[in-house]
Amino acid sequence: MNHRLRPLIAAAALALLASCATTDQTTTEEQQTTQDAAAQPGITAQPGQEAYSYGYGQAPGGVDAYDASGNAAGGRPGQAVAGGGNAVPADRIVYFSFDSADVLPESRTIIEANARKLTKNQRTITQLEGHTDERGSREYNIALGERRANAVRQAMIAMGVTPQQIRVVSYGEERPAAAGPDEQTYALNRRVEIVY
Amino acid sequence: MNPITRLLGLLMLLLGSGLAHAQLTIDITKGIEGSGIPIAIAPFNGGAPEDIAGIITADLQRTGKFAPQPAGSRADYSVTGQAGSGGSRGYVVQFQLSGAQGGQLLNLSFDAPANQLRAVAHRISDLIYEKLTSDKGLAGTRIAYVAGGGGTWYLVVADADGQNPQTILRSGQPIMSPAWAPDGSRLAYVSFEGRHPQIVVQDVVNGTRRTVSAAPGINGAPSWSPDGQRLAFTLSKDGNPEIYTLNLGSQTPVRLTNGGAIDTEPVWLPDGSIVFTSDRGGSPQLYRIGPGGGAAQRLTFEGDYNARPAVSPDGRTIAMTHRRGGRFHIAVLDLQTRQFRVLTAGGLDESPSFAPNGKMIIYSNGQRLAAVSVDGDVKQEFALRGNGRDPVWAPFAR
Repeated sequence: MNHRLRPLIAAAALALLASCATTDQTTTEEQQTTQDAAAQPGITAQPGQEAYSYGYGQAPGGVDAYDASGNAAGGRPGQAVAGGGNAVPADRIVYFSFDSADVLPESRTIIEANARKLTKNQRTITQLEGHTDERGSREYNIALGERRANAVRQAMIAMGVTPQQIRVVSYGEERPAAAGPDEQTYALNRRVEIVY
Repeated sequence: MNPITRLLGLLMLLLGSGLAHAQLTIDITKGIEGSGIPIAIAPFNGGAPEDIAGIITADLQRTGKFAPQPAGSRADYSVTGQAGSGGSRGYVVQFQLSGAQGGQLLNLSFDAPANQLRAVAHRISDLIYEKLTSDKGLAGTRIAYVAGGGGTWYLVVADADGQNPQTILRSGQPIMSPAWAPDGSRLAYVSFEGRHPQIVVQDVVNGTRRTVSAAPGINGAPSWSPDGQRLAFTLSKDGNPEIYTLNLGSQTPVRLTNGGAIDTEPVWLPDGSIVFTSDRGGSPQLYRIGPGGGAAQRLTFEGDYNARPAVSPDGRTIAMTHRRGGRFHIAVLDLQTRQFRVLTAGGLDESPSFAPNGKMIIYSNGQRLAAVSVDGDVKQEFALRGNGRDPVWAPFAR
């Protein structure tokens, strides 16, 4: 069952992402906050109680059910991952070298094109989403991803974009664009996505 | 609520439990180096619907301190028992632990319903471990970790052997960095719900959630003070990732670091000082600052990358993600002797967390959960089947 319905969930999640990405209204974002996550009052055992609910029967044994992850689990090199960066067109992705937040000369064309779009329409808001490859500490990668997004932000501001038009968020290694433990994949994941 | 999110919610409601309860199983991927204590374990006859002896065998094997043997083998100790219908709760489990000369060291009986037979087996394992090593056992403890990705993320709490996984949060956005409160009743973690990071504290029993930080920029890497009254975490609201502490009774985080570098991943030592990751020296390394901030002391000098510190329960040892030669390992630093040891063969190892008795470290090898013994020369690695990351070992239940 899991296998057949997983694509449905992925599709629904993508649709959700899309609907979320197309709005910048605060109220909608707040609603989103409550809809994204569903807390489970799941733990049946109180700490210190000798009452556990062991559920052999309820376990589906589908050990690969988690492998929809973008975390390099069984993916082919360069393979796209649902929910990853493949939804963003190439002219809105800025790539980076290993362990670096320096904007490469070849990225300037892409940044300039997007900066022009923003300076022409000052009511447009962009979200710069910073990403890293999967190596190393996850929280440190969050900081690295933010540093990359800020580098693109600074470049855009230097090109005349007003700071109020730019939001920055870092996903670190949590939303890879491609799965697979190899240099080609890592290079695809070290990126800033310019999202409108 | 628009139709798409309603559909999504329905799907999750229908499928969440099935997806989220995928089982983790533990394989021993590396045998005991050195010699575990030989202990012969006989099958528990009597018809109980759990393999009690099998669970005890796996529990003791996983400690890295025992070498379980079949019944009748030459061994220093032997475990015998029965598990069958009876008693006030459905089943009676009796067991005996004996020395090589036949002297009885333990002889106990448990009444339990069928769904608690695994818990009873873990309890027996811990009683044996405690009797023979004088340390508290881990078989009855729990872990939390993050699973999923690429569309749906899960925050899962499971038994220390990976069994009985229960999803406590399901989200369409990333979940990161769970951290147990010292009393084991709550988890702090990072959630990207709404497409921006925030730090949430969730009661693991009743599911109650509270957002404690949702500042502009990074809200990351929460960790609990030893008394459970405060959190340390990372905020970048002032333009750069810095370490803050927050008294949970108040609203205003206090900033401890200041500078142009990345400062993140704070963890508390028992004396209230804080160890964190910083790239102020060029590469990420671990530093220590006092409870109120001030000058930072650099702790790590080995390799070219040391990050994501974890503190042992006695506060003496720091575990970390360590890179040398392009490979990531789990390493430990003894704060008193300054001895530095690399514990794992390496690859993409990250996110170490100490067991509450300080004898094991659970971590992620990039795809799956693994554990390594930190006690003496005996090293053992386990892989948990199923994708998991950011594992954290819960404190002992009180």
